[in-house]
Amino acid sequence: MADETILEVTGLSKHFGGIKALNEVSLTLEKGSIVSMIGPNGAGKTTFVNAITGVHCPDEGSAHFEGRDVAGLPPHSIAALGIGRTFQLEELFSSMTVLENAMVGCHTRSHKGMFATGFSLPRARREEQTIMEEALENLGLVGLREKALSPIKKLPLGERKLVGIARALGMKPKLLMLDEPAGGLAAHEIDELVHLIYDLAGKKITIFVIEHNMPFVMGLSQRIIVLNEGYKIAEGPPDEIKANNQVIKAYLGEEVS
Amino acid sequence: MKKENLPATLPWIAIVAIIAALPLITSSSYVIGTMCFIAIYGALAVGMGLLLEMAGIFSLAHPTFFGLGSYSGAVLAVKGIAPPWAGTIVGTLFVTALSYVIGAPLLRLRGFYLACATFGLLVIVEIALGQLGTITGGHEGLVGIPPLSIAGFVFEKDVHYYYLSWAFCFGQLWFLSNVMGGRVGRAIRSFRDSELASKSMGVNIPRCKLQIFMLTAALASVGGSIYCFYLRFTQPGIFGFPLLVDLVTMIIIGGGTTIYGPLIGSFVITWLRELIHGYLGNILPRMTAEVDAIFFGVLIIVILIFMPGGITGWIDQFAAWVKKKIAGSRQVTA
Repeated sequence: MADETILEVTGLSKHFGGIKALNEVSLTLEKGSIVSMIGPNGAGKTTFVNAITGVHCPDEGSAHFEGRDVAGLPPHSIAALGIGRTFQLEELFSSMTVLENAMVGCHTRSHKGMFATGFSLPRARREEQTIMEEALENLGLVGLREKALSPIKKLPLGERKLVGIARALGMKPKLLMLDEPAGGLAAHEIDELVHLIYDLAGKKITIFVIEHNMPFVMGLSQRIIVLNEGYKIAEGPPDEIKANNQVIKAYLGEEVS
Repeated sequence: MKKENLPATLPWIAIVAIIAALPLITSSSYVIGTMCFIAIYGALAVGMGLLLEMAGIFSLAHPTFFGLGSYSGAVLAVKGIAPPWAGTIVGTLFVTALSYVIGAPLLRLRGFYLACATFGLLVIVEIALGQLGTITGGHEGLVGIPPLSIAGFVFEKDVHYYYLSWAFCFGQLWFLSNVMGGRVGRAIRSFRDSELASKSMGVNIPRCKLQIFMLTAALASVGGSIYCFYLRFTQPGIFGFPLLVDLVTMIIIGGGTTIYGPLIGSFVITWLRELIHGYLGNILPRMTAEVDAIFFGVLIIVILIFMPGGITGWIDQFAAWVKKKIAGSRQVTA
């Protein structure tokens, strides 16, 4: 079980002009595991997630998701394969309600087109009902079921982050990539988030987290990958990473002699 | 769920009832004719407003689709190739195909650039219709268009077109509000808010844009056909820049944040214009067009400054304010 690989990235590179945001990054994720990626600002963590989810097209390398190379596919195709994500800056649909946001997440798993919905055909209404129930279920999972009908703008930051997770769950993702889920959250909110992530991992969803909050990452992850200036500099269980000299150097800088 | 929807549909039932009963109250062909144009232009503005405000697609091609729909139906009928109803269908298919050919490359453009490209289309089509004299009747226009007839029923009188155009207008509103409330509509509204999140949730944005573009183009074409069979006359100048300005004015004044806003805009503007012309016809008979343009120019500026959401946006704000007042007074009494 633990050996089953869901994502295998080999030699992934992404350049923006002269800046090498990612340099031959290779890693594998096992099904159902919780893996984190840490690194100083500008290390290329978000670029990595963007390259896997198709927002950026990688210059070199491959990313095999369940045996299929997804590098260079458009984002909507990758989403349909089952890679869900959240965003550092939320990127919620601010003109919609919480429920509608969660319902957009179900887009890939519903099929009725304009004519069926336009003429309000029974099959379109049934599908709409199913989507709504699933979206409510996902909101229930993150504890926001009662706020389903409130507009996004009225939610505090912590809850908006959770809406992002509920929205991604609508895709029934096999791999969920969370970009700084704990950023800006209070301590008790972070505790709840940890429980939620364990819940999701229990549902056989592979979790990949980018985070700055060290206690959160150390407590949560089975394995940690460290990125610095686009290179992978370390990988291992939390205890090993804590003691790794290169990691400490990357975060604190070298001693001036 | 059904019961909650009932109060929201009540105003609509009332409006449809009033529109349906109007010809029973008045037999003035002036009023009926004006209301007819309100429905046709309103339907067109609704489609364009949806693209502009809800989908964020800044396309100015709607007068062109309206005009081409009008001309295809009319030319086929005048040349005796197809009866008006069949011409309407052929025209709609033609315009839909054209909107695909135009939309597939052009919808990659954003904002201002898309507006420029589609405006170019508008100018080209207007010139082409004027120059293709043997087919389109040239700049003088196409005359001798037969009236629309469906299954033996001939649409001759104003009141026939009145019911036809309002049925089309309300039908389109119903259809579009269903679309926008459903799966595809949610996807469309989602990429207006955040393209990044939308595509990461699996929305195929180029495809969605093309779909809604083609749908509104097809509806514009049907409206154009009804328009030409009602007028029994069509001319390239009708579908040029002035119509575009009118439509944008309707969308701004009515408010594009709701689907029906531009229809209200159409109603307000058409009657305002009739009022102005009625007054000025006596005082300044030679200056009517100029004063009209200045008046609407100033009106747009005033609306944009004081009620940026248009009339419907203002109504929403007013309703929220009243609700707040009521809630406030309840708290005081408690």
